[in-house]
Amino acid sequence: MKKTILTVDDSKTMREMLKFTLVNAGYEVMQADDGVHGLEVLEGMSPDVILTDLNMPRMDGFGFIEGVRRNARYRSVPILVLTTEGEPDKKDRARRVGATGWIVKPFDPEKLISAIRRLAA
Amino acid sequence: MDTMAAIKQTFFQECEEQLVELESGLLAIEDGTSEPDTINAVFRAVHSIKGGAGAFGLDQLVRFAHAFETALDLMRSGRLSPSRAILKTMLMAADALADLVRVTRENLPADEAEVGRIVQQLELLVEGGDGAAAALAPVAEAPAAEDVPDFQPIQISLADLVGSAPEGARRFKISFEPKPGFYARANEPLTLLRELGRMGQCRVVCDTSHIPALSDLDPEGSYLVFHIELETEATESAVRDVFEFVEFDSQIDIEAIEPEPAFDDDAFARLMSLAAGAPQEMPALIEPVVRIAEPPPAIERVEADSQSRKAEAGKAEAAKVAGGAGATIRVDLDRVERLIDLVGELVINQAMLSQRVAEARLSRSSALAMGLDDLEQLSREIQDSVMAIRAQPVKPIFQRMSRVVREAADMTGKTVTLHCEGESTEVDKTVIERLTDPLTHMIRNAIDHGIEKPEVRLAAGKPESGHIKLSATHRSGRVVIEVSDDGGGINRERVLSAAIAKGLVEPEAQLSDEEIDNLIFLPGFSTAATVTDMSGRGVGMDVVKRSIQALGGRISIVSHPGRGSSFLMSLPLTLAVLDGMIVSVANETLIVPLTAIVETLKPRPQDVFDMGGDTRVIRIRDTFTPLIDIGQVLGYRTEAADPANCVVVLIDLEGHARRALLVDTIQGQRQVVIKSLEANYRRVDGIAAATILGDGRVALILDADAVVANAHSQAAALPEMLEPAE
Amino acid sequence: MSAKQKKPGTIVLAEALDITQAAPLVSELLKMRGSDIRVDASNVRRLGGQCLQALLCASSTWAHEGARLELVNPSPEFSESLAAYGLDPELFNSQEHAL
Repeated sequence: MKKTILTVDDSKTMREMLKFTLVNAGYEVMQADDGVHGLEVLEGMSPDVILTDLNMPRMDGFGFIEGVRRNARYRSVPILVLTTEGEPDKKDRARRVGATGWIVKPFDPEKLISAIRRLAA
Repeated sequence: MDTMAAIKQTFFQECEEQLVELESGLLAIEDGTSEPDTINAVFRAVHSIKGGAGAFGLDQLVRFAHAFETALDLMRSGRLSPSRAILKTMLMAADALADLVRVTRENLPADEAEVGRIVQQLELLVEGGDGAAAALAPVAEAPAAEDVPDFQPIQISLADLVGSAPEGARRFKISFEPKPGFYARANEPLTLLRELGRMGQCRVVCDTSHIPALSDLDPEGSYLVFHIELETEATESAVRDVFEFVEFDSQIDIEAIEPEPAFDDDAFARLMSLAAGAPQEMPALIEPVVRIAEPPPAIERVEADSQSRKAEAGKAEAAKVAGGAGATIRVDLDRVERLIDLVGELVINQAMLSQRVAEARLSRSSALAMGLDDLEQLSREIQDSVMAIRAQPVKPIFQRMSRVVREAADMTGKTVTLHCEGESTEVDKTVIERLTDPLTHMIRNAIDHGIEKPEVRLAAGKPESGHIKLSATHRSGRVVIEVSDDGGGINRERVLSAAIAKGLVEPEAQLSDEEIDNLIFLPGFSTAATVTDMSGRGVGMDVVKRSIQALGGRISIVSHPGRGSSFLMSLPLTLAVLDGMIVSVANETLIVPLTAIVETLKPRPQDVFDMGGDTRVIRIRDTFTPLIDIGQVLGYRTEAADPANCVVVLIDLEGHARRALLVDTIQGQRQVVIKSLEANYRRVDGIAAATILGDGRVALILDADAVVANAHSQAAALPEMLEPAE
Repeated sequence: MSAKQKKPGTIVLAEALDITQAAPLVSELLKMRGSDIRVDASNVRRLGGQCLQALLCASSTWAHEGARLELVNPSPEFSESLAAYGLDPELFNSQEHAL
C-alpha cells in the first residue's frame, strides 16, 4: 500500500516541488495551503508523514503542529518541518511543539526521501 | 512541458503574487494603515520567493531575497523601526526584486550594479539599524552576524566525501537509548533500526533490563536500550545522519570499531560544519563598502497615500478568507478563451434559431418559442458566468502605478502622492492587461507636465506635494477609470499655439476650451517647453487614445487652469459581448450599443431646425440637441435624410453631452457577440466592431462617440464652411 | 481501543501499536493481572517500542507471578518486528520470561 504524505505549505511552488519529489519516490501526496487548511485536510485522512512549512498565513507551522498533536489520533504521525538555513531557534521551537524532524530548504530530494523513509515505518 | 519547467512557471506566477503582496504591505506600513500581521506577510512574500528561487538554484535571486529578508526580519522583530527613510529603501528593494524576478524569468542579465547597490543599502540597514536603535540596542548586530549563511545550495555528496577513500566495510558499535520525548515526537526505534539495516549488516541486541514492574510502568515511558553492531560501507557521518532528528531525545554513542579509512578531510569538515549549522563563509557578493551609520540615500519625494487602497485590499482579503483557502483553482487561460469562444458561438446560434422560429411565424406562446426563451435566458447566464471568469480586479495594475509614480517623481524632482480608489473594480483580463501602458503614460505625463515643481506649488499656495488620483468605478455597464492630478492644468494658450505652429489647427480657428484641451490627443502633438527625459520617448497622448480606442474605450479630458487635469477613460467590461439596438441606415444594418442610448423617439418635423450647412438641431422637451445623420457621417448617403421618415436615437456621450442620431428604422434589440474588425479587417472610424446577426448577416457596431466626434470635427476644423451656403 | 475482550482471558492487540495504544494496552493488562491470558497478535501491523516494552513487562510479570501469558497467532509483521528489535521472535512462546 502506498504511504501517504500530507504537505502543508503556502507556496504553490514548494507544494509542487514536494509533490513531484514524493510522487516520483512512490508516495501518495495530499496538499494544504496553510495550517488551518492542513487541519481541515487532516480530518479526512491519516497520513504516514506530515511535511509542513513554518511561515504561513492564517495559521503558521507551529500552530498547525500543536493542533495536530492535540488530536490523540495523530500523536504518532511524524511531522517534518521545512526550515531555512540559519533558523536553529525555529527548529527548537518546532521540536518543542512536537515536530519530529526538519528539512532544510532548498531541500535535497534525496535527503527528503531518506528522512521520510526513516519516519514512515 | 516537463514537470520541472511547469513548476518553475508556477514559481514565477507566484512571485508576481508575492511581489504585489510585498509592495502593498510596505505601502500600508508606510502610511500607517498596516495590521499587526502586515510585516509578517511582507516578510513571508520575500521569504517565499527566496525559497522557490533556492529550489531552482537561482542564486542571484536567492542572495538578493536573503539580504532583503534579513532587513525585513529586523523590522519584524522591532529592531529596525519603519521610519520613512527605511521604508523608501524597502520599497526600492521591492522594485529591484521585481526587476530581478523579471530578468530571471526571461533569462536576461541582471543589472548587477543596481542589485549590488541595493543589497549594500539593505546591509547598511542591517548593520546600523536606524541609527538610534542601533545605539540603544547593540544587540541588533548579533542576528546579522549569525544570519548570513551562504545560500548557494551546498552539494556535498557522499561520493565526494569518500571519493578517493578506499572502498571497504567499516564497523560501528552503536548504543542507542531513546528518552520519552523520542516517542512523544512520533519517533519509533524500529524505523531507525530498519534504516541502519539498509546500510549493511546489522546486529541488534535489545536490552530490556530497564523495564520496571507492570505497576511501575509508565506506558509512555522509554525503557528499551539498543546495542547495535553495524558493518557498512557508509561513513560515520552517514550513520549519524540516521539519528539526525533524535539526537536531543536519546543517548547515542557511535564508535568506529576499526580505524576509518583516510578520506577527504576538507569535505568532511565542510559537511560537519554544515551539519552543525555553522555559518559558511559568505562569498564576496559585493565589493567591501565604507559603512556609514546614517540611513542610506533613498527616494524622499514620493509618498503613497493608500488609505482607500488598503481598505479595498482588506475587503478583498476578507472575501478571500471567507471563501476558504481551497476555493480557487488555477486554469489555463487558453481553456477559458476556448470556452468564451464556444459560448459566443452558442449565443449566435441561439439567435439564429430564434430568428428561424420568428420567421416560421409561430405563436410566442408556443412550446417551441417558450423553450427558446428559456434557452436564451440560459445562454445569457452562461455567458455572464464565463465572462466573470475573465474578470479581474484592477488592483494589480493600480499597484504597479505606485512604482511608476515613485520613479517619475524621483526623476523629475517633484513630490507626488498617489491615491487609489475602487481597486476591487473588476474588468476583463484583456482590458486590464492592455491598460498598463496607457495608464503608465498618463501618470508619467501628469507628473512630468501636470504637477508643478515644489517651489512653484508653494508659491501658488498649494501643498508642496502634488497629488494624483487613480480611480475605477462601474458606471452603466462600463468601467470608468480616472487619472487626475492637482497640477497646473492644461496651458491652453501654449497648447493652441503649439498646435497652430505644427499645422494641426488653422490659425484662425475659434476653438472652445474643451476643444483646445482635446488637441493634446492629436498625433504628433507635444507641448513640453523642454522635452524631458521621461516623456520624451516618442509616445504622445495620441498613442494613449488609440490604445484606449482599440479596447473599445473612450478617453476625454477635463482641465481647470491652476487646479489640475483629469483624464476619464470609459472601457467596456468585456470585449466579447454587447447589448445593442439594431437599426437600419440607408439599407445597412448597424448596432448601437445600448449603454449609450437614452431614448428613441419619432421626431416631429416642427421640432427640427436647420442651422445651415449640414447642421441641424432637434428640440426634445425644450432642449436643443444637435441632430446627426449617421448615414451621412458614415458616407452611406450624401443627401441629408428627411427626419419625418426617420427615428431619432438619443445618446449620452462621455462627459454627459447628448446627441440625437438619425436612423431609418429600429429593428429590435439584442445581445451580440463582438467580432473585432481590426482583427478580421481593419479599424474603421466610427465603427467599434462587427457582429454576426441571427440571419447570418454581418452588422457593424457603431462607435457613437467617434461618429459624433467625426461629425463635430468636420464642423470644427472647417469653420468657414459652416457659414450658410445657400 | 488497543484491546477488547473476546472471551475472558483474551486480549486482541490493535493493528498499529504506537504511542496512542500504549496506555490502553497497559491498563488492559493491569486489569487482567493475576489470571491466565492469551494475547492475540494476529492483527498487528506495526509494533511500536512502548507497546513492545509493555508486552515484555507483562510477560515477565506474569511469569514472575506464576500465571500464564500466551501470545497467539502472531502476524508476520509482529514476528518480523521482534526480530528487527533484536528480540527472539519466539520470545513470547517460550515460557521463559523476558527479564
